Amino acid sequence: MKSSVFFKRLTHWCAVVAILTSVTGCSLDYVNPNAAAENQVLTTREGVFSLAIGMQQFYATQTLGSIITIPGTTARELGTPTTFQNPLDLEIGGTLLPPEHGSIFTLWAQSYRTIGMADNLINSTPNISNLSAGTRAGVIALASVYKAITLGHLVMYFEQAPITVGTPSNGAVFRSRADVLAEVIRLLDNAASVIAANPPGAEFTGSVLARGFNLANTIQAMRARFLNMAGRHADAIVAANNVNVTIAGVSSFVFDTQQNRNPVFVIMPLGGNYAPRDNFGTLGLNDSTDGRLRFFMGPQNRLSATSLRLQLDSLACRFFTTADASIPVFRAGEMALIRAEAQARQGNLAAAVTEINAVRTKRAANDPHGIGAALAAYSGAMTADAILTEIYAQRCAELFMTGMRMEDARRFNRPAPTATASATAERSRNYYAYPSLERDNNRANTPPDPSI
Amino acid sequence: MNPSLHYVRQAASLRRFAWMICLLLAPTLVLFAQPRAYKLSGTVSDAKGALGAVTVRFDKTPFGAVSDRQGAYTLNAKLEPGKYTVLVNAINYKSFKKTLTLGDETAISLDIKLAEDVTRMDEVVVTGTSAASSRKTLGNSIGAINAKDVQNTGANAIDAAMAGKIAGVQIQQNSGNPAGGVSVRLRGTNTFSGSADPLYIVDGVIVNNDSRELIDLGGYAQNRLVDINPNDIDRIEVLKGAAAAAIYGARANNGVVQIFTKRGTTGAPTVTFSTRVNTDDLRQKMAWNQEARTVRGGMIVNTNPDGTPVQRFDLQDLIFRRAWGIDNYLSVSGGSQGTKYFLSANQTANEGIVRGSSFNRAGARLRIEQVISDQLTLSSGVNYTNSSSKEIPNGGLNSAYGALTGFIFGQNLVDPRPRDGVYPQLSGLPAVTRTNPLEAIDRFDFGQTTSRFIGDFQLNYTPIQGLAINYLFGFDTYSQSASAYIPRGTTAPGLPGGFGRSSIYNVAQLNNDINISYRTELGESIKSSTLLGGTMQYERNNQLTMQSESLSPVAVVASAGSAAQAFTDSRAELALYGAFLQQSFEIMDAFFITGAIRMDASSVFAPENRFQFFPKVSGSALLSEFWKESELAKILNVAKVRAAWGQSGGLTAIGPYTRFTNYAPINYAGFAGLQPSTRLGSIGVKPERQTELEIGADLALLDNRIGVEFSWYNKVTTDLLLDRTVAPTTGFTNLLANVGTLTSTGIELLVRGVPVQTDDFKWTVTGIYNRNRSVIDGVQGGFLQITDGFGQVAVVNGQQLGVFRTGYAARNPDGSLLLTPAGLPQRDIGKYDANNNPIPFRNAAGQPTNIDPETNRPTGTALVKVVGDPNPVFTASLINEFTVNKLTLRVQIDGMYGGQNFNFTRRVGNRAEYGGLEGYARELRGEVPIGWNLAMFGLLGEFVEDASFTRVREVALSYEINPENLLAIRSVRFNLTGRNLFVLTNYSGWDPEVNTGGQRAAVRGFDFVEVPLPRSFSFGLQLTF
Repeated sequence: MKSSVFFKRLTHWCAVVAILTSVTGCSLDYVNPNAAAENQVLTTREGVFSLAIGMQQFYATQTLGSIITIPGTTARELGTPTTFQNPLDLEIGGTLLPPEHGSIFTLWAQSYRTIGMADNLINSTPNISNLSAGTRAGVIALASVYKAITLGHLVMYFEQAPITVGTPSNGAVFRSRADVLAEVIRLLDNAASVIAANPPGAEFTGSVLARGFNLANTIQAMRARFLNMAGRHADAIVAANNVNVTIAGVSSFVFDTQQNRNPVFVIMPLGGNYAPRDNFGTLGLNDSTDGRLRFFMGPQNRLSATSLRLQLDSLACRFFTTADASIPVFRAGEMALIRAEAQARQGNLAAAVTEINAVRTKRAANDPHGIGAALAAYSGAMTADAILTEIYAQRCAELFMTGMRMEDARRFNRPAPTATASATAERSRNYYAYPSLERDNNRANTPPDPSI
Repeated sequence: MNPSLHYVRQAASLRRFAWMICLLLAPTLVLFAQPRAYKLSGTVSDAKGALGAVTVRFDKTPFGAVSDRQGAYTLNAKLEPGKYTVLVNAINYKSFKKTLTLGDETAISLDIKLAEDVTRMDEVVVTGTSAASSRKTLGNSIGAINAKDVQNTGANAIDAAMAGKIAGVQIQQNSGNPAGGVSVRLRGTNTFSGSADPLYIVDGVIVNNDSRELIDLGGYAQNRLVDINPNDIDRIEVLKGAAAAAIYGARANNGVVQIFTKRGTTGAPTVTFSTRVNTDDLRQKMAWNQEARTVRGGMIVNTNPDGTPVQRFDLQDLIFRRAWGIDNYLSVSGGSQGTKYFLSANQTANEGIVRGSSFNRAGARLRIEQVISDQLTLSSGVNYTNSSSKEIPNGGLNSAYGALTGFIFGQNLVDPRPRDGVYPQLSGLPAVTRTNPLEAIDRFDFGQTTSRFIGDFQLNYTPIQGLAINYLFGFDTYSQSASAYIPRGTTAPGLPGGFGRSSIYNVAQLNNDINISYRTELGESIKSSTLLGGTMQYERNNQLTMQSESLSPVAVVASAGSAAQAFTDSRAELALYGAFLQQSFEIMDAFFITGAIRMDASSVFAPENRFQFFPKVSGSALLSEFWKESELAKILNVAKVRAAWGQSGGLTAIGPYTRFTNYAPINYAGFAGLQPSTRLGSIGVKPERQTELEIGADLALLDNRIGVEFSWYNKVTTDLLLDRTVAPTTGFTNLLANVGTLTSTGIELLVRGVPVQTDDFKWTVTGIYNRNRSVIDGVQGGFLQITDGFGQVAVVNGQQLGVFRTGYAARNPDGSLLLTPAGLPQRDIGKYDANNNPIPFRNAAGQPTNIDPETNRPTGTALVKVVGDPNPVFTASLINEFTVNKLTLRVQIDGMYGGQNFNFTRRVGNRAEYGGLEGYARELRGEVPIGWNLAMFGLLGEFVEDASFTRVREVALSYEINPENLLAIRSVRFNLTGRNLFVLTNYSGWDPEVNTGGQRAAVRGFDFVEVPLPRSFSFGLQLTF
């Protein structure tokens, strides 16, 4: 009798144990509930749509902020009022800017993260069967444009750059500036032709393309920008002429007040890491009555925090002063200045001056973004040198804070940087050294660093 | 998956498991002769008198009894006639053994007198052993302390109370907040991808000790061991490495700390009530700038721009305060033969020394043991704790809104107290805002609450003599919630519209363990212990976070903001299955050999790397057995040599889904999107594996007056998981890979002695010395930057973990600063040799230059090098205890020596624009040129300082009286405790022990205005009824 009670109890306890034990999960293969796996993304229709949105978001909120602020500081458009070491080292620049500098790494890494997403889209989208031809063309064109913009900007700051991503075991191969620009133009031409053959429809604009981004017009504007950089002057003029520079042609990166805040707003007015330099940082090249000064800058308010003591102003440009301000993908005046430069370099000085004057005399009301110099027409010497210098000065103002100053200063043969830091230099480096994390991990392919 | 199907499958696998156990046990089920009922009775006492709560048992039988308050015990045992050993193992006493021959006489009387175990060689330990074993038989060293060692420490948490008391254990309190986090490192840091703290087991339950930073408090985070009340601790055992801990397998790389709480004892109820009041204050202010001068336009002036004289304010006086706290504890324990219980309740309330901060904890614990039959015992414990804290954020690593960051970034030229309700801006830079620390204290609202339940259920079944089957189910779950609120319109930089954040972390983890142990004798002189075990462990957690900026007025919730809204929901599950077999042999009571194997499977790793095998072998020789009859035994009572080798793994070094390339959700332009992680997936990573060899000796000398434990160890962690960098041109920035090796070598020495012992005076001394060096190798590229260390902390081949690697000042050959022609220090410039050693460039004037003298080209870069190492070379402690009758004084002095701290506090506070510290006053007094501190600011390596210290950790005075006929009170004990009274150090910051990196494995010795450990006094009263 006792034993039966005992066994009853034992049975009871065993049941308790069994119940408690069964609370345990038995699996060893848990699926990540927080994020999608790569194969889910690259092989499905929803996956490539989502990745296209991810790519646009990353470029707009991350890469673009670095492109504007980091080379902008090296090209002396911006200075730093803070005491953080990274911006201080960047402002001093020169040969003392080490290859392990965090900002240069950030610029490089964000660019290739964008290119990595674009490459995945360009390679995967053709294999997804259940897509309409227009949507497929749209996704490929969009990825091509983002990749082209990113690559084109990379060679503004680095002598060479890979044109596709590598793997840890098979590092990316670096290509010359000319090769990179050829690839950029190929990508843009291809984007133009795929959407011409299969125009994207409502599905693309309704579920992939971020509002504000004018895909067709951006393709032409970027063709003009990079054909000009590649020295293909006649083609650049044609491309610039194809760009709609009215309000209808405006193309923007859009932001909101939540998780997609304007990166320049976050870095500059909010974070206080950089501020615009007085007079566009051009040291007398620009006219003090230039209407664009008021468009971009508020009053002088402090000196930069390095030994250079650069005069800084507050930032007033509405592209950057609120969290949800849109940043133009390109500015209307750039097309006129591309034509001016292409004409001047082909020796057509009068045609160049016509284009310069279109920018110099433009009033804010006549620009889709409200940028207006409202200056008198050009009255300087009619020599190629003087006119090119004038085009550079106009680019400095018209294209202030677009990430192009470093390239412009080099292309217009502005004084080379000095080995020691100088407050009067127009740029503190010709090209950046390749980030040491690239060299350490891709030793076989990384070219030697430029001397400055 | 269909959940019901899921459970059916589980039930099926459970049934298979049950059958396996039955099959394993089948050969041991042998029938025995008819037993008789014996009754052993008597008293237990020591030199001072009767001893209650001591277990008397027949060795190798399930029969035992516990003495009551008067020391009396009655042990009823059903045994077949024969020879039996009566065994008494009581904490702090030498083991008592007496062999009895049981025959026809069934009532036997035996009085037991116990002798104090000064050397603790007879201490019985259970962690990692095949069966409860006395320390002198073990092949590896085990650290052990008991309630007596951790009472009256004045510490709020178990880990803090353990500091300085166990050999081979480095315990560091990272913050002086009342629930400040604590790091425990057993024989050095053994990983840096995950937590480097050991596995904690409380009454068999694997407890969670996460340090979640749900809100940014500046590195400071509570580690959740703080939820367990130190008053409940009965005993702690510490396994310091793989050689001892191999049977804990994949979770044992950082060592194992097993904590046992108090249990009930048979007899009339014992009621203990204790209460304590403590008061804390800032031990020492940092030297601050009191010069009534400032610099304007390059000139030293003594007036402000408005003509008023310059005045400097003591901000430390306004931020810190004398804090008060109380701690109350009540326990009731007792039991009859069949049932024993222990019930306790506790409540603690402590203010922090930073105004406005506090920590409260209340909880209750119940433990019941029920004998169901002669063979079956059930035991269960439940523990509930509610902890809450009010926090003052400190800024630190990621945020700029803290009180103490505001203090160090603010000039002390402005009275920080509010005028007309407005807190003035203290920043010395135009258009740069810094938090007014008093505003952070008065107007910010940061806090955390944790509600936690820990329970266990244990069955102990002894079907036959020598065989014991234990089943244990352990469950630990808590919900930690934190909220942060910064109102609109404060001085907090970048947050003019205010900030709100709320984050909740829920975790549930459980372990199911079955252990089967069998002890038998294989012939005359060989005893065998076998332990077979299986474990299933499971953890599930999720974190929900919401934050926003630009808050509506008045509303304080995180959803009240209209801008920068963010919410995240992250969930994880992991499981581990393990099985082990451990076999020990005891030969002639002098040689002890143990071997073990463990097999683990973990969900964290991919199937091909999931199954891991961990072996262990150890042996010891108790040489003194051979002279135990001779005269030598009086001088050298115990002499043992031991050696152990084992392997263990690191399950927690990576997260449950870290091996995948994960595409995280984002939202943009009204669309839902996905974005790849910056970490490239690495499906093939393996768990880290540690191989440890330990050799040591234990001695007891001079009639057991002196005990010595010595160990040397070598631990090699291979397949070290490094979140290594990859070329950014892959589209990713990092990749988790098994690339490094970490080799730790060290010695530990513990000496216990009784220099003086008379009838009414006793002096005991414990001295501990630990020396460890853990060196990294195999890092690709030679070094790796660690995140969260302001870019100053790195992993460098040939160096210890977390060295400081940064720029530094150019120096003359004699070591003095190489100054510019203007007399200011400057950065060194040059290039590196093949081994990454800097080669400085000098021009003709002897000044640093970027022109390479060999090539004459400007190729020099600003140089960086390893400038310091936060790891101490050795740690030591000395505990003296004096007892005069019922008065006891214990003094613990401990220290860490040879490590360095990065003093970011001094770097910022000395700079002109901030200038609140004494360093800037030197510039104002003209002792250094104007601009000196600004130049130094860019020379980060110059702020690495020696952080060696000697600390008077505890001074505890207690007096006990035993009143007669006073309200049934049996004893009253008065305690007066001082904690952290004095620190001898050359370190210029508040405290060399704290760490702004909190409990991070690799960011150590990083001081950026972290709250220092307070000086604390407490007065306590303990009543026992």
